[in-house]
Amino acid sequence: MPKIKRSRKPPPEGWELIEPTIDELDAKMREAETDPHEGKRKVEAMWPIFRLHHQKSRYIYDLFYRRKAISRELYEYCLKENIADKNLIAKWKKQGYENLCCLRCIQTRDTNFGTNCICRVPKPKLESGKIVECIHCGCRGCSG
Amino acid sequence: MATSKGANTYNRQNWEESEFPLLCQTCLGDNPYVRMMKEKHGKECKTCNRPFTVFRWCPGARMRFKKTEVCQTCSQMKNICQTCLLDLEYGLPVQVRDAALRVQDSLPKSDVNKEFYMQNVEREIENSDGTNPVGAIANKVPSDMLLKLARTSPYYKRNRPHICSFWVKGECKRGEECPYRHDKPTDPDDPLANQNIKDRFYGTNDPVADKLLRRYQDMPKLEPPEDETVTTLYVGGLSEAIEVDDLKNHFYQFGEIRSVNVVQKQQCAFVQFTSRTSAEAAAEKSFNKLILKGQRLSIKWGRSQGQQQSTKKDDEEEMSEHQRGQCRGKFFISIHRERGKGPRVSVHDSSDLCT
Repeated sequence: MPKIKRSRKPPPEGWELIEPTIDELDAKMREAETDPHEGKRKVEAMWPIFRLHHQKSRYIYDLFYRRKAISRELYEYCLKENIADKNLIAKWKKQGYENLCCLRCIQTRDTNFGTNCICRVPKPKLESGKIVECIHCGCRGCSG
Repeated sequence: MATSKGANTYNRQNWEESEFPLLCQTCLGDNPYVRMMKEKHGKECKTCNRPFTVFRWCPGARMRFKKTEVCQTCSQMKNICQTCLLDLEYGLPVQVRDAALRVQDSLPKSDVNKEFYMQNVEREIENSDGTNPVGAIANKVPSDMLLKLARTSPYYKRNRPHICSFWVKGECKRGEECPYRHDKPTDPDDPLANQNIKDRFYGTNDPVADKLLRRYQDMPKLEPPEDETVTTLYVGGLSEAIEVDDLKNHFYQFGEIRSVNVVQKQQCAFVQFTSRTSAEAAAEKSFNKLILKGQRLSIKWGRSQGQQQSTKKDDEEEMSEHQRGQCRGKFFISIHRERGKGPRVSVHDSSDLCT
């Protein structure tokens, strides 16, 4: 069934153009939520959720800021409806955080020594040949 | 019992708190900028079952995180590292060190006895300076055996991650990024595979200790000769630089030297003592250890005074003496005593030698 709309007003123009993609992403998200946990690590089961969340927000962000294909009204409607994550997008606007994977990876309170996640280390600085999949979102390196 | 933090702290064994762990160099790792996590009362000590401050750190790249396993009191009692339970000075298991120092440390192992003992030890530790070992190991001279067996440089192979059990079954899906070791597991038949932390701590039934002690038995040793009159040491491997005075100056500390005879041609010397005991002491202290002017000297027992006189002659002359005495029949066996070595049996055709 279609996603519940929070506002009582109808969505602004241009909504019909982005709706199919959003629906597709929502369906994938539901699939990721209901996947069985067999054969996966406890943290690994969460990775597709974060990935899809990033993907959805990225779509809206790209449409508005990069391709300028939707109006500001529609963009803000999406943010209000929580189709895109406004906090994550706020980070993408900062220098160095353009490809940030998720908000958990920059939360220093979550780590033992108050650092960022390993995926935030730029590849040239990381000792070469080391493959990292961060435990929060399975990111393989989101800066550099 | 030490199972709750409780109200009664008088005359009870309390939960332990410490500021810094007691660790050996290998456990700490090669990184001078190690970051350590501290958790007050994080786990129970593996030997005394008391909650203690757990420290956890990464000993280097591609190493597993290590943490302190036993409490500081237990480790100070035995002078061992809190994580690997090996001696802090020599890096040897408790059983080996105790065997070498001939220390019989009888710790009570059962509940209240243990707690009472620990409480007393704790008090002793508090009153002492934190840098020296307390208890049975205090004021012990390092033994020769310990120095021979001790590890000199850190052994970081101990800090490697554990074997990936999924990979052993062929099911590891993590591949390259798997932090566990993709190596074949240790052989379960190997006696070193069943080690027990309590055994290692108390110094009983430790397979690693057994292996080390056996290794020590197999090391080359110098046996004193049965002939009681022999007080001469054969010193081999001399170079041109070493002189009679050098040998005298080294060996006089063991006892009065009767004579020193250097044979430059053979690159050896004979040092004779006046007493057998001083000769034995000299042998023990110098065997495989003596290095004079950069040369390692090999020490063996010489022969008694009388026989020694004859070896000062040349080899040829000696042979001819034997020949004259024993040339009969077609073959004869000459038992020819060479310098410093045991008897050598050789079979000769009589035609070679009889003149």
